[in-house]
Amino acid sequence: MYKFNFIYELKGLLRNGWIQLLSLLLFALFFFAFYNGHEKVNKRKSDILAAHQEVQESDQVMLKQLDSVERGMEVTASPWTIPSKPMAVGNYHPRVAAMDPSNLAFISTGQSDLFTHYVKPKTSGDDLALNFTEITNPVQQLFGSFDPAFVIIFLLPLIIIAFTYNVLSSERESGTLRLLASQPISLASWVLQKMVIRLFWILVMISVILTIVFYINGSDRSIASLLPVFGVTAGYILFWFALAFIVNLWVGSSAKNAIALIGLWLLFVLLIPSTLNQMGSTLYPMPSRTLMINQLRNAKAEATKKQDEILDNFLRDHPEYAINDPNQGRSFYHRYMASQQLVREELQPVIQKFEGQLQNQQQWISQLKWLSPAIIVQQELNALAGTSTRDYESYRKQVTAFAETWRQHLLPFLYNNQPFSSQDYKNLPVFEYVSLESDSTAKSTLVLAMIALGLVGLGFVKGMAYQSSRNIITP
Amino acid sequence: MITTNNLSKVYGDITVLDSLNLNIKAGDLYCLLGANGAGKTTTINLLLGFIKPTSGSSFINGLAISENPKKTKKHLAYIPENLMLYPNLSAVENLDYFSGIGGNQLNKAQLEGFLEEAGLQTSAFHQRISTFSKGMRQKVGIALALAKDASVLLLDEPTSGLDPKASNEFGLLLQKLRNKGVAILMATHDLFRAKEIATHIGIMKNGQLKQEFVADEISLGDLEHAYLKTMEYKEAVL
Repeated sequence: MYKFNFIYELKGLLRNGWIQLLSLLLFALFFFAFYNGHEKVNKRKSDILAAHQEVQESDQVMLKQLDSVERGMEVTASPWTIPSKPMAVGNYHPRVAAMDPSNLAFISTGQSDLFTHYVKPKTSGDDLALNFTEITNPVQQLFGSFDPAFVIIFLLPLIIIAFTYNVLSSERESGTLRLLASQPISLASWVLQKMVIRLFWILVMISVILTIVFYINGSDRSIASLLPVFGVTAGYILFWFALAFIVNLWVGSSAKNAIALIGLWLLFVLLIPSTLNQMGSTLYPMPSRTLMINQLRNAKAEATKKQDEILDNFLRDHPEYAINDPNQGRSFYHRYMASQQLVREELQPVIQKFEGQLQNQQQWISQLKWLSPAIIVQQELNALAGTSTRDYESYRKQVTAFAETWRQHLLPFLYNNQPFSSQDYKNLPVFEYVSLESDSTAKSTLVLAMIALGLVGLGFVKGMAYQSSRNIITP
Repeated sequence: MITTNNLSKVYGDITVLDSLNLNIKAGDLYCLLGANGAGKTTTINLLLGFIKPTSGSSFINGLAISENPKKTKKHLAYIPENLMLYPNLSAVENLDYFSGIGGNQLNKAQLEGFLEEAGLQTSAFHQRISTFSKGMRQKVGIALALAKDASVLLLDEPTSGLDPKASNEFGLLLQKLRNKGVAILMATHDLFRAKEIATHIGIMKNGQLKQEFVADEISLGDLEHAYLKTMEYKEAVL
């Protein structure tokens, strides 16, 4: 039966123009989405490149100034910006801590349009409250980005619904079902075969599109990077086909099938994700960022009032700095950096609470993501693209750690009253972003395939009852 | 061979088929006459396994339909009142498809041979079904029965809506099948065609088989009289 179904289904779909329309639609949607994704990545890369160039230019100036100082020449700059002062290096010549886009970043914008992808931590900067958010276009925030993940998660199910909602009902409505049902075949198998043919076509299209895009992309053409994207997409497509299969056997007329499938799309793609998101925020509310910044300011104000006392305490805790600290050498920065340390310590509980709640929220979504395949796929694509919340959280932590490294590298110069020299330049710490590995894609693909198989099995149970029911005569 | 033993179907309080007993042998053409709602189509739906009987049993070539739904369908062909085929496929393709999914793989010559035997003009073999008249589609239905080598043919008002020439051609095709030993059950309103082609005629009313005749033993006038009497209609005065 399969050979005949395959040949004639394909012929029928080609003759009524469905295949051509579907192929064009998929190509148009995906290529537009990939173009958008690439543009975003290119923008991100050029932003990071510009920041690096800015640092290079600034370093050239710094080295010239250091050279002048070391030669005993006069430097025409404000005294507090001359780089022989370690805090001038720390504040006016910071390094770029950038989150370079991964090779698959174009797949999913994820959180990349909400968070910044490079910062320049300074020695006296508030790295505790580093501003990781950017002002973005509110319309874009409302509708999301038109990237491949959007096409896969939101639009592909709609295309599958349009392609499958009436596989059985159209046979009843056109009158061919009676003739089909009089043949020695299982209707459930027959419907499944029709679905498989359509599934096959969509999978062929998707694999062709992904191969072309990966080839054009050029940065990573390996099958190893293509396979996880294809796998998770195929799992999601399989889920929607299985759902359409069960609706075809379970519901009835074409109109009812379409409404049922659109209802399921709303449920899985919009309602469950937004409900989980809402519940996550309600159960684990994030502490107010404004409150945190206010606390930071208050702590700073308090610290400023008693900077001399703080500095004494700080030097007691850090005797290595006190050795070379003649009282006359104490400057603003000696007091300021010591007070910053105190502020940081005082604010630790607030920051921990903030991070804890963020972790709770993520854990909550992660545990319940199995309720909606859309969430599973979104999380996996974001993880593969390196644009997930987890990736940005990791980046934020790496930046905070780097800011501390930067500070700790320059503090000995400050407290030892040692001038920064051009020889010290090459030892300045450099930030290198370590991306997270996505290790759950295979598991998620497998889970999606298992759910789909379960649904197909359920469809067969109904299918057995279907063949000897009035459904063949009336819906 | 078609056999039914006290076959009944009840929907709620309504009995649509009441203890039907039929025995249609190979080479018989049994016409079931009756008004709309008499139970003719229900009988065919039960024989096709589309619905389950409330009581009683039915057999195709000795195989119980309820226990062997797939096996019995291998032996039977079915032509509904309005045979719908795939409009985007040609007659040959439709025949190939329906035969193929039933497990009967045929080559092009065989397919064209069956369509020719069913009386379809050669020029229509490769035309899309969307251009076919009802009579032409019914011929493809006959070709399907021929291709399947069905020993039982179920027809549900196949000649309704056909012009007299097409109806006559269809009748001749059925007689050819009957002569090949096919057991045929045809539900129809067409008394004239029934008298012309049937070997046996039954009149149904309210789900019951009221009268049965051997076609050769009754004239068309007597058949009409019996039919109208069964239906409790007043005969028209000519």
